[in-house]
Amino acid sequence: MRKKGQGFAHTRAFWMFVSPALILFTVFFLVPLALAIGFSFTNYDGWKTMDFVGVKNYIKLFTDADFYATLKRTFVYAIVNLPFKVALPLLVASLVCSKYMYGKTVVRTFIYIPVLLSALVAGITINWMFGEEYGLVNFIIQSFGGTPLKWAMNPVLATTVVSVASNWVSIGFYMIMFIGGINNISQELYEAASVDGANKVDSFFRITLPLLAPTTFIVLLLSTVNLLKEYTLVQGITTGGPGTSTTYIIQYIFNQGFTQMRYGYASAIGIIVGIIFIVIAGIQFKFSNSGGEV
Amino acid sequence: MKKWNKAAAALLAGTMALSLAACGGGGTAETKAEGGSGDGGASAGGQTLKILLSEEPGEGDALTMMFNKWAEETGNKLDIQIIAYDDQLTKFPAMAKNKDLPDIISTTRLHQLYPEEFVDLRDSFDMNAFEASALKIVGKDYVSDKITGLPQQFTATCVFYNKDAFEAAGLEAPTADKPWTWDELYANAAVLMEKGGVKYGFAADVSRARYDILMYANGGSLTLADGDSFKVNVNCDANVKTLEAFAAANQSVMPQAIWSGATADNPADYFKNGDVGIYLSGSWNYASFVSDISAFKFGLMPSPKGSAGQSCIIGGSALAVPANAANSALGIEFLKWMYTDENFKTYIQADKGLSSLTSVIYEPDTDDGKADYAVIQGEVAFVTDTFMVDESSAWRNYKDNEYRDYLKRAVSGEMTAKEALDAFANELAESSSWAIAQ
Repeated sequence: MRKKGQGFAHTRAFWMFVSPALILFTVFFLVPLALAIGFSFTNYDGWKTMDFVGVKNYIKLFTDADFYATLKRTFVYAIVNLPFKVALPLLVASLVCSKYMYGKTVVRTFIYIPVLLSALVAGITINWMFGEEYGLVNFIIQSFGGTPLKWAMNPVLATTVVSVASNWVSIGFYMIMFIGGINNISQELYEAASVDGANKVDSFFRITLPLLAPTTFIVLLLSTVNLLKEYTLVQGITTGGPGTSTTYIIQYIFNQGFTQMRYGYASAIGIIVGIIFIVIAGIQFKFSNSGGEV
Repeated sequence: MKKWNKAAAALLAGTMALSLAACGGGGTAETKAEGGSGDGGASAGGQTLKILLSEEPGEGDALTMMFNKWAEETGNKLDIQIIAYDDQLTKFPAMAKNKDLPDIISTTRLHQLYPEEFVDLRDSFDMNAFEASALKIVGKDYVSDKITGLPQQFTATCVFYNKDAFEAAGLEAPTADKPWTWDELYANAAVLMEKGGVKYGFAADVSRARYDILMYANGGSLTLADGDSFKVNVNCDANVKTLEAFAAANQSVMPQAIWSGATADNPADYFKNGDVGIYLSGSWNYASFVSDISAFKFGLMPSPKGSAGQSCIIGGSALAVPANAANSALGIEFLKWMYTDENFKTYIQADKGLSSLTSVIYEPDTDDGKADYAVIQGEVAFVTDTFMVDESSAWRNYKDNEYRDYLKRAVSGEMTAKEALDAFANELAESSSWAIAQ
């Protein structure tokens, strides 16, 4: 009897600790998810029209050329940027952890500041710099007698600007993760390697990089998901143009739902895109030995 | 099957209502407590009028001036909220669901998109006092005779030009007797870039309503009347040619990034900065240009001729009162105050635009102002029958921003003009169930 009472106390304590997170998770994730799944089978317009349409939205989605084009564009953007998202913070973290580096705190602070900015503010700042008409970069180019670049009109340049901005705002966050990983590596390993005649490059590739694998995996996973759902930054810089050349999948969903008032269709896209993202994350877990160690 | 449909919809609606109640139900009682007068007569003062505007009022904004004047005279307070026109379309349903509606809205579309949500103002106002065309285009429900908004800013598309740039380029502005053709406008825009000291010869607002004056001038239209119904005509040959010419002009004499959707820059700022020679916009910009532009002289020219003649689109914004607003009576009280001859005259003198009241007219106080106003008044005569047919079709209830987005894709070179218009025609036909004319 006494044992049963103790068990209940443990259960009660468990639910008391879990309930705040559970309530938030339910209200802000599970309920919207359930609604989105429900809406995806309707022609909901955001207010008055909501008729059950079966799988019509899904059939339309799988024959929508714009959806495929946007999804492909999103994948290309993510794949091209992913190496930079991992390599640049790793490089910076290695540098600021080096004993030969001076002013580490100042450098870390300056690199971290963009992380604190809202993505929209960062986007507008970048837009101000790379604006075609009144942008700072074109002003500097013209001051030196050069021809201003068509940052906004050229799809490659516009995508490059978005990519640079995306790396700029995230590098500080991933740098901090790598710094944590590097500091956890025992100095004795480096000393032993040094005694065995390893130089700095050998130490980096044979000690630092392998032991950072769990951190690298997390950075890879977060970067992939963040690149696939890039939206706010793009909205501040190019608004998706020229044409739709920087319109990625989240903006496509947003436009379908909130601009064109097709909530049902947008929900169907959201569900399919969500499944695709889950599959990608699953593949990353499966093919990374480090996944299980995180 | 129908039962199941209704049950599924009811279940979803219930879940949604619960989540909305959890997120935002708290404000309702407080808002209602502010309400008071429900009799439609003059309030005793001390109430708060909740207003929804579409943009941050600039210095000397005529409508804001009138709200402030009313508040001062009646002792009431103002609670002004700003939501851009495009965002109003998504925010208004949310406001209605949360029972957090403003008492009065300055809007271009909401009252025509959701007529059942607004007070029928025929019950409170004499409609004979208003310009018929203003009432029909700006204030009336598309389908019924209900008047859901009183035309506040009655506007017409018009073409501004930089007089200094014209002088430097040795160009004479066209006159009402001898308007340019669109081809002449594009050619002269190139001259302005070469000799007039401007970066771009021509610019136009990113609005389908601005682009459409080219379409109507060339004899095109979005729809065709088909008995009691309509046919989709947006991808007709004339429209394809017009869009091709517009895309080409974007590559030569216009800031292409704007109509390619690559920037959120406002071409009005380019014109104000002296970077644009000719600017297709609307009469609503006139008052702000008069106060903001001092570096050069500007004027208005008659709209250019297309293959079918000149064209103009009239429109504007209305003041509408949501039927379920906490204090809709106060909103109507403001309108009754605003639409007296004396007060509307004060408004229109500050707005410097077309008047929607037959008994009130704007009287410019300078010669330049008189000449410009004559051009704006003259433009109203170029409203085409095709525009009126398109308006009566209420095609925007089926598709709206999608049209502009396809135009942008054609201008950016992502699609050809034909591909873009065909794609939009198919979407409009699918949504409206109208056949495609060709």
